[in-house]
Amino acid sequence: MTGTRRTNPAEITRDSLQPRVVWLEKDLEQLVTRFLRRKEDELARLRQALSGADFETIRKLGHDLKGAGEGFGFPELSILGAKFELAARAADAELIAVHITTMERYLKRLQVRFD
Amino acid sequence: MRIAILEDDISQTELLSHWLQLAGHNAHAFEQGANLLRALERESFDALLLDWNVPDLSGVEVLKRVRQRLHSSVPVLFVTGRNREDDVVTALREGADDYMIKPVRRLELLARLEALSRRGRHGPEQAEVIELDVFKVDCQTRTVLRNSKQVDLTAKDFDLSVLFLRNVGRLLSRGHIRETVWGPNAVVTSRTLDTHVSRIRNKLGLTPEFGWRLAAVYRYGYRLEHLDAANAQRVVHSDPKAAA
Repeated sequence: MTGTRRTNPAEITRDSLQPRVVWLEKDLEQLVTRFLRRKEDELARLRQALSGADFETIRKLGHDLKGAGEGFGFPELSILGAKFELAARAADAELIAVHITTMERYLKRLQVRFD
Repeated sequence: MRIAILEDDISQTELLSHWLQLAGHNAHAFEQGANLLRALERESFDALLLDWNVPDLSGVEVLKRVRQRLHSSVPVLFVTGRNREDDVVTALREGADDYMIKPVRRLELLARLEALSRRGRHGPEQAEVIELDVFKVDCQTRTVLRNSKQVDLTAKDFDLSVLFLRNVGRLLSRGHIRETVWGPNAVVTSRTLDTHVSRIRNKLGLTPEFGWRLAAVYRYGYRLEHLDAANAQRVVHSDPKAAA
């Protein structure tokens, strides 16, 4: 356990309840919809990997999230991916749990609109 | 351009393919290094986009084999999340032409690919007028002059002629030719392709008696060779008026 301050997953701030609206080009609609559906699925995989202390799977999922998130219009997911990768390398289960909650919350409040 | 992507993350593959297709390129995705290497034995590409961490062979292993075993000088752009200096140095020293760290930005990626194409070991040039030996090709008016006389070509024969004249000395696979001339979704039989090649060989005089050879390579494709390449003068104008 490092001395870094961590966010308590139970702490729900006013900001985190606000919808996060992202506007994207219409031609990305199908791609982005599939991408976000995969990220929802990956939440379950992350949880499962965490419960089995499978840090390599978490590192790989984080690595891919870091690589793709920003390209799809979600820089927050790229940042989160990098955090997963770092926490997995450090085998820091507590921090990974925090990141999973953050990702879940982010996806829940995300509203993507296309024009 | 016809571009092969080595990437094991499906989301990333879809995004890169989408960007390339929007920019008018044809993208072919491979999840595993071994599959890409097998494809490279029978197919030609204008550029390779390689991720580093993929199942089986890593991107760097693929690159080594492309350069050493296949003796290919196809432009290679690494697109990877590995951001350490020694990773970049390793890839460049093994023969990569450029290196981008994920997440990549669309316009930057496309600009880097264009730059690789311009540096031009491979890849069609965007020039409107190509002068090569006895040929003068005007891509705007879609005409080919041979010894200053216009050669009568169909639309497909013209596209095929331009493809070969822009890639003299380069072995082009049948798939590459089909895709460039007829489009990515066209169904074209080998016989149709051979007929068109034979026709332009005759019409343009791409035969040894005129110092050219349009040679078939068994189970792969065709290569246009200039037999007197040392004496050939090649002038490329981007402005058709400059060549007039």
